[in-house]
Amino acid sequence: MPSAAPIHLGPDYVRFMTGGVSINTGSGGSDGLPSQCRAFGCRVDAEGGRITVFLAAPQAADLLRDVTRSQAVAVVFSDPPTHRTMQVKGRDARVESLAEGDLARVSAYRTAFVQCLLPLGFTESTVRAFLDCPDEQLVAVTFTPDAAFNQTPGAQAGTPLIPGAG
Amino acid sequence: MIPFRALRDCLDGAIPGVVSTCAPDGTPNVAYMSQGQYVDSQHLALSYQFFNRTRQNILANPHAILGLIHPQTAQQYRVRLTYERTETAGPIFESMKAKLAGIASHTGMSGVFRLLGSDLYRIDQVEVVPGTTLPAPVPAVDYLPALRACMERLPATPDAESLLDTLLDGLERHFGIEHALVMMLDPGRARLYTVASRGYATSGVGSEIQVGDGVIGVAARERVPIRISHMTSEYAYGLAMREGAAPGLPPDTEIPFPGLAAPGSQLAVPIPGVREPLGVLFVESPTEMRFSHADEDALVALVAQVGALFRLFLAELELGEEAQPMVEKEPHPSGTPLRVRRFASNDSVFLGDDYLIKGVAGNILWTLLQDHQALGRTQFSNRELRADPRVRLPDQSDNLEARLVLLHRRLAERQACVQLEKTGRGRFRLVVCRPLELEDMDLGMA
Repeated sequence: MPSAAPIHLGPDYVRFMTGGVSINTGSGGSDGLPSQCRAFGCRVDAEGGRITVFLAAPQAADLLRDVTRSQAVAVVFSDPPTHRTMQVKGRDARVESLAEGDLARVSAYRTAFVQCLLPLGFTESTVRAFLDCPDEQLVAVTFTPDAAFNQTPGAQAGTPLIPGAG
Repeated sequence: MIPFRALRDCLDGAIPGVVSTCAPDGTPNVAYMSQGQYVDSQHLALSYQFFNRTRQNILANPHAILGLIHPQTAQQYRVRLTYERTETAGPIFESMKAKLAGIASHTGMSGVFRLLGSDLYRIDQVEVVPGTTLPAPVPAVDYLPALRACMERLPATPDAESLLDTLLDGLERHFGIEHALVMMLDPGRARLYTVASRGYATSGVGSEIQVGDGVIGVAARERVPIRISHMTSEYAYGLAMREGAAPGLPPDTEIPFPGLAAPGSQLAVPIPGVREPLGVLFVESPTEMRFSHADEDALVALVAQVGALFRLFLAELELGEEAQPMVEKEPHPSGTPLRVRRFASNDSVFLGDDYLIKGVAGNILWTLLQDHQALGRTQFSNRELRADPRVRLPDQSDNLEARLVLLHRRLAERQACVQLEKTGRGRFRLVVCRPLELEDMDLGMA
């Protein structure tokens, strides 16, 4: 894979990614087979230079294996009420343990995503069920974004979020 | 074993699936799916709306993962897929197009979501993702017993009219479906006409739609069930489906389609025939997401039996008729004559100023009235009508039974001075309680 320069995501994007939005993570194996897992929240470091998502290790076994091998990762963030969607990719992903404050982030994320979905007719028990995971099973996947795309449905879908990057 | 019922529930649910693919260089891509469709136990189809990264990837590397969440149990599934081909026409495409129009309308994406194709994938494996789940709720309908209760009454019906009534009664009683109608196909005119309905302010018997129009018309044309879970104007029927008035015709030969003004869910299931479908069973509800795959399964099973029974009625008529005693010639009625006009350009018949019926059913009535007027006949058989050139059936396999149901219902609803009374299998009596003056409006115009 060619190397790409890191991109800087502005505060609006960071707010979006760390809010109560749907988050899904993908990677791929050497055989060309993709892997996928839903994430339970996101941390972006102060400079916007490093993105971390939280996953349930038993659910993410294939993805963690692929990330460890290829370091390639893609994460899609989507706000169900507005369909606003963005995807961020990186090529230096690592699997890590959670840092201080991450458990609180996961907990806040669950509450925020429940609040987002309740007006759409989902029940809290349904949302909490598919976001459920014992704390000790949570792992983090962290990466430097080198591409980011607008994926809101429409003609502009697939365009880079940051001109010149992606 | 693939948990296909759960997959169908997931694909029907409001939680969008997530599609992961890989570019040839290994770069992953994750995207939300607009629409997925269960095809069979080995295949499903995903909507292709934009030439996006997912599309580019699967054309180069056919492997994909579809992540799904069950809408009731919250169980997550990952379906490993291999892209096989894209269809841009035909039953799967049309079914998805109708459904997508509903989704687009529901999500404020009308004009953005347009189906370019149905991407067909082979299901390689379904992984049940470990996690917390909720108990599955008890369904409102227990489908197999409901289907059994509905089906076992159908073969006992003696004719097409009671068959359709029994079908609609059964849907209401056993499936809680309160708004339903049956339209039969007129293959010669590529139109469908309503012969029976339930749950509407007016029966709409005799109302017509064009093949290809709305969920019913698409179901008939593509011979595939069409089910939409959200209201969409793209597939809605106007209150009056007009056929474009021809010159020289009286202005109003249209009967309004009886459907709900604001349907939430609709399901149209073609009634199978030998070649074309015999017609379409249509059910709807003001509630969104009312009809599930299980409803579709049940209705498809029911109409298979309805179609077979229609063919049985036809075969019985071919075999012969019940013996019928000779009837004395009935006296002509007395009173003020009623003018009955017939317009040959669309075979429409008017009783006084009121439009009654058109098409083949109009020809049938006109033939009966001519023979009644000229010969004093009141007794007729379906079999002789089938052979009568004045009826102008499009072909020998035509569903004459359905046209007689239509005529019978229209006369009864209008409380007309002309009625049809069944006198035996494939036989009926014409009851005329007022003198008639028959006027052929197009005579001499040809």
